[in-house]
Amino acid sequence: MTAAAQPAGRRWRGSPLAPSWQKGYLFASPALIVMIAILIYPLIYSFVMSFYRWDLSSPSQYFVGLSNYRDTFNSLGFKQTLRVQLIFSAVTIVVEVAAGMGVAVLVNGRLRGLKLARTLLLVPPMIAPAVVGLNFRWLFNGQYGLVNGILRFLGLPEAPWLSDPNWALASVMIADIWQNTPLLVLLFLAGLQSLPQEPIEAAQVDGASSWGIFWHITLPLMRPILMIALMLRIIDTFRTFDVVWLMTQGGPGGATSLITVNAYQSAFQSASFGHASAVSYVALAMSLLFLALLYGAPWAARKLRRNS
Amino acid sequence: MAFDRLSRRGFLGGSAAVLGAGTFAPRIARAETTEIRALLITGGPLYPKYWEKVVADFTAKTGIKVKYDLLEFTPLTTKVVTLGAARSNLYDVFSTHTAQIDSFFNYFAPLNEYFTEDELKDFYQVGVDYLVNPKTKGLAAIPRNMDARTQYYRSDVYAEHGLKAAVTWEDLVDVSQKLTGNGYYGLVVPGQGDPAQRTFSDLLWQAGGDWVDDAGKPSFNAAPGIEALTYYRDLIQKWKVVPPDAVSYQWNENSTQFSSGAVMDTFDWPGAFSTLSNPETSKVVGKWSTAPYVRNKTAISCAISHAMALNSMSKKKDAAVEFIKYTVSPEAQLLNFNDYSNFPSRLSVAKQVVSEASGAKAEWLAQLEQTIATGKEWPKLPGFSRVCTLMFSTIERALSNQQSPEDALNQASAEALQIMTQAGAYN
Repeated sequence: MTAAAQPAGRRWRGSPLAPSWQKGYLFASPALIVMIAILIYPLIYSFVMSFYRWDLSSPSQYFVGLSNYRDTFNSLGFKQTLRVQLIFSAVTIVVEVAAGMGVAVLVNGRLRGLKLARTLLLVPPMIAPAVVGLNFRWLFNGQYGLVNGILRFLGLPEAPWLSDPNWALASVMIADIWQNTPLLVLLFLAGLQSLPQEPIEAAQVDGASSWGIFWHITLPLMRPILMIALMLRIIDTFRTFDVVWLMTQGGPGGATSLITVNAYQSAFQSASFGHASAVSYVALAMSLLFLALLYGAPWAARKLRRNS
Repeated sequence: MAFDRLSRRGFLGGSAAVLGAGTFAPRIARAETTEIRALLITGGPLYPKYWEKVVADFTAKTGIKVKYDLLEFTPLTTKVVTLGAARSNLYDVFSTHTAQIDSFFNYFAPLNEYFTEDELKDFYQVGVDYLVNPKTKGLAAIPRNMDARTQYYRSDVYAEHGLKAAVTWEDLVDVSQKLTGNGYYGLVVPGQGDPAQRTFSDLLWQAGGDWVDDAGKPSFNAAPGIEALTYYRDLIQKWKVVPPDAVSYQWNENSTQFSSGAVMDTFDWPGAFSTLSNPETSKVVGKWSTAPYVRNKTAISCAISHAMALNSMSKKKDAAVEFIKYTVSPEAQLLNFNDYSNFPSRLSVAKQVVSEASGAKAEWLAQLEQTIATGKEWPKLPGFSRVCTLMFSTIERALSNQQSPEDALNQASAEALQIMTQAGAYN
């Protein structure tokens, strides 16, 4: 047996350079230590914090069990926050995925000016969310904003974009959709370009309509990409903060108060870190639950089909 | 050559000496000049120059260096909350404010031992009182300038329409209705966050109510509270004399509406006197006058203060206190008034600026003095900082017609009682 054909373990046996799992961990340890210090430790610390009365105004912190979670679910503000968060997540994800897929299919074609369109699609995701928030706050300003200016010019009624609870929620959703749809377009575009062409060409030869090809061939083939897109957006909508805070600060009257806004207010306006941690972990639990549903539902459906 | 005779022992000894000098020399040098760090408030283009001068004068007088960072009010408060939670000693001195002081009672060192009774007597009593921790009686900060609001109105437009500045709530509606139209509004009030709570608070006191009763239990949902919030909401939703976007306005938007000429009347802080007189920041220079805050059953509104606090974790407390004392000295307060019209927190300085003023400025100062004399602040009871956050959205919900004032206040009162009980307000 030649040296090259020998199993790795036998080849290095007795050598000081022999690979071992200890050495692997040794080399990875600097990165692991940094990860533990900046990621794992704060996560555990804030989780522990959520079981303590941890107010800046109290002289000491003390264990309160699930009290912070109970307070959170009992507070009127949080019930409203949950409702707002669910509406925000559901609407933005559905619109972004649908619009993202539609635009990707369009951009994937052979129309003129598509190269420029693809480049322009990179712009919104590249802008910092804080800048997006400030720009949309200005655009939707009731008196001096561009949007109402255009409506006025066209002789249409103006909208109370940021001062009416329903319009305010719609405004922050528009800003979020504007910023995040292009990212999904790019993701879907990459997926569409890597699809095998044979089934599509075969369907075309058989005289299938464009819609039929998209619905019965393209979409099922795009399922893994769709799942990734949904996963990314679910995680992201539960982390959205900057745009909403800069546009409305969660107002008017909590009408745009997402979970992150609620946590921020608990921590930095009420100086109540125990409650803020509890709210943050509720957000984490909710996004995990939705991810579990996303991956678990198709699995359960398959299992049901198999059993029946 | 000397190196020819260098022994191993000599080389090691010399190296140790160099290392020692390198290690200790900076410390020795540092010991000669104390340096403290301060996190200070700013706002507008001129404020940095004020601190630059105050710090330079202080260093020239004491030899103590001050390294400082400037932040506007909201980010400053957020940063102090973060530093307080981490028990950080990054800064020795902080700018702070009466409104949020109860959050920092355990982070700021009591200043009682650094200020004698006689020294404190020179400050407005109301300014000092609301910076005291009611449980420990510790003075958490010392007032630097007083914050109270007066009415700023467009005297040119009022004269044109034969109107006088509003005195009562009814007058305010009446006058504002006459001046609303063609894209202009008779009045502007803020309607979001802390400014909304501040406005409701003034109206609550003017309606004869208060935040808590004698036992410290929430009473803001009693009849005066409902009357105050209903009036506040009606200014925006019923009489429509305020821009409809007001529910998204904080102080900046409120002030800008008046300084841009879009509205005819507002209630603003002392700093507005300077801003509105400066052509770079105001389109209505020379077209406005001041009047007292409007009244209802009472004429009470807030009398609070920007203040200076000492970090309880500071390792240079004596030097830090020297700086704090300098920032509230008559000299610094005079500079603050002359350049920014920030009203002094010292009675002696206030007396001096009032006696030196004339004309419209003298009238305005008299109005401010009157407001401060009858002024109040919301309670500093345990848990009240969380109640404030609760009130932001409560008031906004009523102002944006999501809930009736009565329902909003009743729900908030029940939750406030629970928060304060939990925080130990009644132990």
